[in-house]
Amino acid sequence: MLHRILGFIVLTLLSASAAFAGDEAPAWLQTDAAIKVPAYERDVPAVVLHDEQNVTVNEDGRLTIVKTFAIRILNREGRALAEAAEIYLTDAGKVKDMHAWLIRPNGSVKKYGKDETIDQIEDANDVYNEYRVKVISASNEADAGMVFGYQITSEERPLFNQDIWLFQSHLPTLLSRYTLALPQGWRASSFTFNHSKVEPSTSGSTYTWELHDLAPIEYEPASPRIINLAPRIAINYFPSEGTSSSGSARSFDNWAEVSRWATALHDPQAATDDQITAKARELTANAKTELEKIQAIGHFVQNLQYISIDIGVGRGNGYRPHAASQVLAKAYGDCKDKANLMRALLKAVNITAYPVTIYLGDPTYVREEWASPTQFNHCIVAVHVSDETQSPTIVQHPKLGRLLIFDATDESTPVGDLPDLEQGSLALVVAGDDGALIRMPTTPPESNKVEREANVNLAADGSITATVRERAVGQKAADFRREFRKQSRATYQKMIEGWVTHDVNGAQVSKVEPTDDAAADRFTLDVEFTANSYAQVMQDRLMVFKPAIVARRESLFLTAATRKQPVILAPNAYTETVRVKLPAGFDVDEMPDPVKLNTPFGSYTTTYEVKDDQLVFTRNLTLRATTIPVEQYDQVRNFFARIRAAEQSPVVLAKK
Amino acid sequence: MKLPRSPFLISLSLFCFIALSVAPALAQDWRPVDPADLALKAPVVEKDADAEAIFWEVRIDDSKPEELSLKNYIRIKVFNERGRESQSKVDLPYLGYNQIKDIAARVIKPDGTIVELNKDDVFERTIVKLSGVKVKAKSFALPNVEPGAIIEYRWREVVPGGSANHLRLELQREIPIQTVSYYLRPFLGMRYEPFHTGEARFVKDKDGFSKLTMTNLPAFHEEARMPPEDNVRSWVFLFYSEEGKLDPAKYWNDLGKKIYDVAKDEMKVSDEVKSALPAILGDATTPEAKLQRIYDFCRTKIRNVNRDATGLSDDEKKKLRDNKSPANTLKREMGTSSSIDMLFAALAKAAGFDVRLTLSGNRNDMFFDKSLANYYFLGSSFIAVKVGDNWQFYSPAETYTPFGMLGWPEEAQEALVTDSKEPLWVTTPQAGPEKSVERRTGKLTLSDDGTLEGDVSIVYTGHLAAEKKAYNAGDSQTEREDTLRKMIKGRMSTAELSEIKIENITDPLKPFVYSFHVRVPGYAQRTGKRLFLQPAFFQHGGSPLFSTNTRTNDVYFHYAWTEEDDVEINLPAGFSLDNADAPSPFSAGPLSQYNVRIGVSKDGKLLVYNRKFFFGGGLGNNLMQFPASGYDKLKTYFDMLNKEDNHTITLKQGTATASN
Repeated sequence: MLHRILGFIVLTLLSASAAFAGDEAPAWLQTDAAIKVPAYERDVPAVVLHDEQNVTVNEDGRLTIVKTFAIRILNREGRALAEAAEIYLTDAGKVKDMHAWLIRPNGSVKKYGKDETIDQIEDANDVYNEYRVKVISASNEADAGMVFGYQITSEERPLFNQDIWLFQSHLPTLLSRYTLALPQGWRASSFTFNHSKVEPSTSGSTYTWELHDLAPIEYEPASPRIINLAPRIAINYFPSEGTSSSGSARSFDNWAEVSRWATALHDPQAATDDQITAKARELTANAKTELEKIQAIGHFVQNLQYISIDIGVGRGNGYRPHAASQVLAKAYGDCKDKANLMRALLKAVNITAYPVTIYLGDPTYVREEWASPTQFNHCIVAVHVSDETQSPTIVQHPKLGRLLIFDATDESTPVGDLPDLEQGSLALVVAGDDGALIRMPTTPPESNKVEREANVNLAADGSITATVRERAVGQKAADFRREFRKQSRATYQKMIEGWVTHDVNGAQVSKVEPTDDAAADRFTLDVEFTANSYAQVMQDRLMVFKPAIVARRESLFLTAATRKQPVILAPNAYTETVRVKLPAGFDVDEMPDPVKLNTPFGSYTTTYEVKDDQLVFTRNLTLRATTIPVEQYDQVRNFFARIRAAEQSPVVLAKK
Repeated sequence: MKLPRSPFLISLSLFCFIALSVAPALAQDWRPVDPADLALKAPVVEKDADAEAIFWEVRIDDSKPEELSLKNYIRIKVFNERGRESQSKVDLPYLGYNQIKDIAARVIKPDGTIVELNKDDVFERTIVKLSGVKVKAKSFALPNVEPGAIIEYRWREVVPGGSANHLRLELQREIPIQTVSYYLRPFLGMRYEPFHTGEARFVKDKDGFSKLTMTNLPAFHEEARMPPEDNVRSWVFLFYSEEGKLDPAKYWNDLGKKIYDVAKDEMKVSDEVKSALPAILGDATTPEAKLQRIYDFCRTKIRNVNRDATGLSDDEKKKLRDNKSPANTLKREMGTSSSIDMLFAALAKAAGFDVRLTLSGNRNDMFFDKSLANYYFLGSSFIAVKVGDNWQFYSPAETYTPFGMLGWPEEAQEALVTDSKEPLWVTTPQAGPEKSVERRTGKLTLSDDGTLEGDVSIVYTGHLAAEKKAYNAGDSQTEREDTLRKMIKGRMSTAELSEIKIENITDPLKPFVYSFHVRVPGYAQRTGKRLFLQPAFFQHGGSPLFSTNTRTNDVYFHYAWTEEDDVEINLPAGFSLDNADAPSPFSAGPLSQYNVRIGVSKDGKLLVYNRKFFFGGGLGNNLMQFPASGYDKLKTYFDMLNKEDNHTITLKQGTATASN
């Protein structure tokens, strides 16, 4: 509810903000505003003229950060981009100064300062955290042709001597610069991602990385995320040799160092006590095998409520779970709390487990060459298992042996499966000296499958009675489970009715029965319905109907004629068998030709067969985990176009 | 014209929203838990509910001038994981100068174990601050919540100097409630207006409080095309009144006279107004022609600064001074909605008409009922002009509403025509379906692979045009084109649009027009020897209007409308019509009618499809509201429409031409 209230309040407060008198823009912004910008496609909303961050590292490790930014609004969609926002942590930083300016085409300037700065919580979902954000928005005043710029000075006590700089967002960017001014004798190194190596220019102990004239990055469905398209650098900096920073910040030379650092935060919190031991024994009382014990504990932990309360993040507590005993007592926690509690419960039944830090959002985000905990935003668990335990989510660790990977936060993915956004990702197993970055397992398309069976009775007047059963496993089951769990029963019912009636006019849905067998990683949906006029009767002699009676629940995409980015497909499979009992007195006059498509990224087949007054239609789609280069876009687009056409193809019956 | 709310009302509504969206505080101890409630396995009020409030109490004490106190006490039974997730995290937001006190919460687990909320687990945050205004929140997560558990919490909000005047008491919430109670200890003169509370009324209780109780209230569920929320939800409106016994007729009569006195100065006919009139009227001689000239002048020559399309930035709007008179508005050639209506009134007055400011309800918020004696419910104002013996109504502030029509929220509403002596009530007229037309034409060519391609135009008039213009006016050309693309591709995902033209977006006088070239691969389905073609191009891929089997709330349409389609399709060489039978016409009497004609040219190469559908005819001033009990019939009617729109004709390869 805080989201709604926050939006309402901000709107009300902003509408009450004061008007302005004539102001003047600083020289740097006037210079930026005078830059002639290249011509872009007309849907590009704005161009970044200048994006700069100057970071000065003090001897004690504290940072002074000056952000300088200017943007030219190119069309009305760009108005929303006239906004400055700075996130800060109340216990480790502060925004010292924040000003913005809006320059109109006639040269008049509006200045924004303290009176127009909104200071608000950064995440309304958490019960408590210390992140806040200061915002100046000129979006109500901005319009095409105007230049918006801001300068923010903030101070921060960092946890790490590391930083990241993303040279651009989706917008074209004329100048992007990151400058790091270190104390005398300190040094810095960097890694470049999504771009050829960007070498810094140096002056004494000041390093500057800079790129110019970056083209816009267009949003396209199923494309890599912006973080894997836009150039970015990752930076480490170090005190001069033989000395150490008086601050507590640090950097890492390798992943083992990161592991050791994280282990010190995690391990003390996983201590067991009588309550934990008792709970673990209670949960595993009926478990006969190692896997059953893990499943019992995993099921319990993943069903605890997700609630995040972060205090002391600036002191590293954002990386430290709450004590397992505390999480068990309150029965809620965030991802690291859940992973930690699961470790403790497993430890109580003599099973060893390790926390795993991972990036949730894009399996290709984490880069091996830069050892840094800031690459991760999520925590899962790796359970050491014996040869007795078999599961598709087991990986081999060079030192720790067989590890079963499990996300104790995702309520919809049981032990033995892994959320698709984590599959294939590099993640850090936090295990002291033995910790290492390893690749998470991936599951084949057949493990993420929907099987549908439909039985249809078609009458001579075109009416039908139909039953549909969908059985999903793996990540498809997780999708369906999530859909079912997140909505009330009534809303779910309406959603299914809407899905059926979209394709079957006037359908009366008499049964919607979902069955969630999470332990078996299976979700089944049974639907029954009737419709008075599914098939169209023509001139009392022909009857026409589509055997693909209801659509798949996800749409087939990629209809755009051109493409700029690769296409990323997730592995999954779909099979359907429709049996249509044909009405007496009719013969099949025409059936669509069967379709067979085979490509490196997927396959699709349809078949039609008539036997004993029954039409049997099948369709099978398999998509493999693939990144398809943009040069092959036509191939993937045609693949989906042919599927769409095939599924619209009708069957024609004629009266005998 | 929708009346603006005063800043006082805005801040009050913010306060009310915050104060009552969460809720209470009070007794020293928790009340005993009924073992039957703990043992409860299924909801009592609403089948399949995820959680249900056993009771929800708010105790409002407005008896002290120095503060308003709201004590809340809520007990909720959790039935499943969804209920746990939605109920176990509690946020109590409040304005910075208010106070939240005495928070207490606990969980009673299914086995009877009680887990109290630790005081340290209540977190206080400033949610947002700007220019000295702060909104804070106290938040907590209830520990150990699980399906079968009961959670309860209470708190008190204190509003220094606050008043319960214009407070809204919500009786229906997001979860069903077994018993909801409001206790009220007012200052003198408190009154209330109940909505959808059945027989429930405040009755005298202890310690100077009155109590209103309702039982078995289902959760409030929104549905598409339902009446305004205030018309279907259970709630109570509190207000203070100086009068001992409130007589609605007298109240409105007095108000009508007071408003008349104020308005007559606002619509003053000055020399500037008089001298501008002849040029505005031109050669108009009839009353209607004169009024139309004045109406169109106000819409086209005076910029409405409350509209998006003025070209003025927010800063420029803020700098504008209020127009002090119609002459002022005339001179500046811009004004607020209110000053434009007043200029219209002054010009009409100068032209010799009897003119009055008129107030009505606003159907966007609530259906007005004049037995509700409070100006709070009058959401709109416009100008009444006497023509012959009748009052006619105009609001040129509604820039895109054609002459002779009011905005739909003001149609079919009881309206108070102000007067110095005898204000009177009249019902505003409602436009019929012929006034709001969507006229679509397509000249298309079908290829033998099923691709359909050609030129299309869509013309909107009346309320349909007003809504399209208002929606698009503030957008860029790219956004407007995206809106059109989404509209077309939402039905036909493979459609490719080009040569898009969008006309008259901000022109108050002309219809709103889309025209574009379209190509739809796979539009018709090809089998070995046939092509199957849906001639209703503008309905292709559309879903039935109503998709669910059941309905809780009445169905309500804002206004009547008509659809007229003329589609011509050039058929591919080598194919001829195997059948071209047309869908059968059907109707619902004067309310609605559907007619389709399908024909083919003599040479068999051109298919001609004409469709006409209207809905909302013959209603007079009755609202288009259909009871939920009759939902099946209404759904069946629109299902039939969808079915006939999906009618398919067959083209056969290499056969003789058939024609209708």
